Amino acid sequence: MDKKDIMIKVENISMRFNLGIEKGFSLKQGFINFFDFKKRKENKNLKKKNEFWALKDVTFEVNKGEVIGFIGSNGAGKSTLLKVVAGVMKPTKGKIEAYGNICPMIELGAGFDPQLTARENIYLNGAVLGYSKELINSKFEEIVEFSELRDFLDVPIQNFSSGMTARLAFSIATIVDPEILIVDEILSVGDIAFQKKSLAKMMEMIKGGTTVLFVSHSLTQIKELCDKAVWLEHGVVQDIGDCKEICKKYEKFANSK
Amino acid sequence: MTNFIKNISYSLKKYKFLMCQLVSRDFKVKYKRSALGIVWSLLYPLLTMSVMALVFSHMFKMSLPGVNYLVYLMSGLVIFNYFSEASNLAMSSVVGNFSLINKVYIPKYIFPLSKCLFVGINFLLTLIPLYAIIFLTGTGVNIYHLLLPFAFICLFMFTLGMGFILSTISVFLRDMFYIYGVMITLWTYMTPIMYDFAMIPEQLQFIFKLNPLFWIIYFVRDIILYNQVPGLNVWVYCIVFSVGFLLIGMIIFKKNQDKFIYYV
Repeated sequence: MDKKDIMIKVENISMRFNLGIEKGFSLKQGFINFFDFKKRKENKNLKKKNEFWALKDVTFEVNKGEVIGFIGSNGAGKSTLLKVVAGVMKPTKGKIEAYGNICPMIELGAGFDPQLTARENIYLNGAVLGYSKELINSKFEEIVEFSELRDFLDVPIQNFSSGMTARLAFSIATIVDPEILIVDEILSVGDIAFQKKSLAKMMEMIKGGTTVLFVSHSLTQIKELCDKAVWLEHGVVQDIGDCKEICKKYEKFANSK
Repeated sequence: MTNFIKNISYSLKKYKFLMCQLVSRDFKVKYKRSALGIVWSLLYPLLTMSVMALVFSHMFKMSLPGVNYLVYLMSGLVIFNYFSEASNLAMSSVVGNFSLINKVYIPKYIFPLSKCLFVGINFLLTLIPLYAIIFLTGTGVNIYHLLLPFAFICLFMFTLGMGFILSTISVFLRDMFYIYGVMITLWTYMTPIMYDFAMIPEQLQFIFKLNPLFWIIYFVRDIILYNQVPGLNVWVYCIVFSVGFLLIGMIIFKKNQDKFIYYV
């Protein structure tokens, strides 16, 4: 394989979270624990127990133009993996290289301000996603058209229904032609008509030769869209390979539980 | 070092638009549904000053020989208000934007920086009432006023440095919001805003001189009230304190920013 064709290289990535214990720190408890030697030892064990490896030694490569699906139970580490690839989180261990600009559609509508109007939020959210002013100006019509919210452009989005907000967010996120597209369960946006439309839009983007990382619980969708699949369970890669094969294995595993 | 500067300028260029958007969002949200809107930026410092002037010059019979008390008060107040508002907003900017930090990659220094810029624009507006007072009281201006931007830049750097430090601490220790609230009250009284510095006992004066805001206000008042170029030591204190705090803040922030995400 030519080296140029590799778009994403994930090498031995591990990600550690601390469950709860680090969420808050109280001075009183810290003071008590400091002097209580017995407890200090206990705490050390507790800390180990509280450690949670969301990803363990994950390695894979994605070639240009490939559509790769991620499957696994809830909490298997799929979303964490995508966030690491998107650069939102830094892995505890391991290395990641991505060649090309990434469009992370992980959680849409990041940075929406409920008090601002839809028009203002298009610019704000666009800036958050890293778009330039020129790009937003030139694509503004397209966003408005696609979201079907022309009559509500100057309404603060706190008055929007959740479906309307989601439609706006989807429309903003999909105006770019990214080299790497990261999609996390967002195809269930809006009403049925819009779902159809957004799926069509996604297909168009995928067929345009984009490299796609795709997380979904719908195996039908995965089988339909992906060439390759990665099966994660408890942060560990169970299997990588041809999409249909992996899906079959996973189905078997899920049914046997 | 050149690499470092190159990185900063590249990143500033890349995220300029985002910064503008964040600052303009703050403005829009701040004055949403208020009848007077941006006029409040001018009115608010004037009104606070009036209240303080009333209390201090009439009830406590405060006056300063040779200078106008209103101008004295206003010049200190404008500087201190910038610091207190910007550092407070910057402190909560990282915690307040966790939902964003969690979803997309944005360099995190943008949040404290955009808050300091936002309040900075507001600060420039408060210069209008300050100059109104300067003219109305007959204090007048002189050519040295052109040196004032130096003090403003120092003030900005110092505040930004504090913003970096405070926002980092508050991620790990939410108590900081309360602690800093008390600190800022103490700081108000430890800075000669409404009283004359000469009233402070001599053996205690050195404590007041450790306060960077003391020197910035000193610089500004030397020019506005006493029509003179500040002494060399004032320049040095201003630059050392502001650059020092900015550097410390940047280092602390940079060292810890990757850990922020675990404390959501």
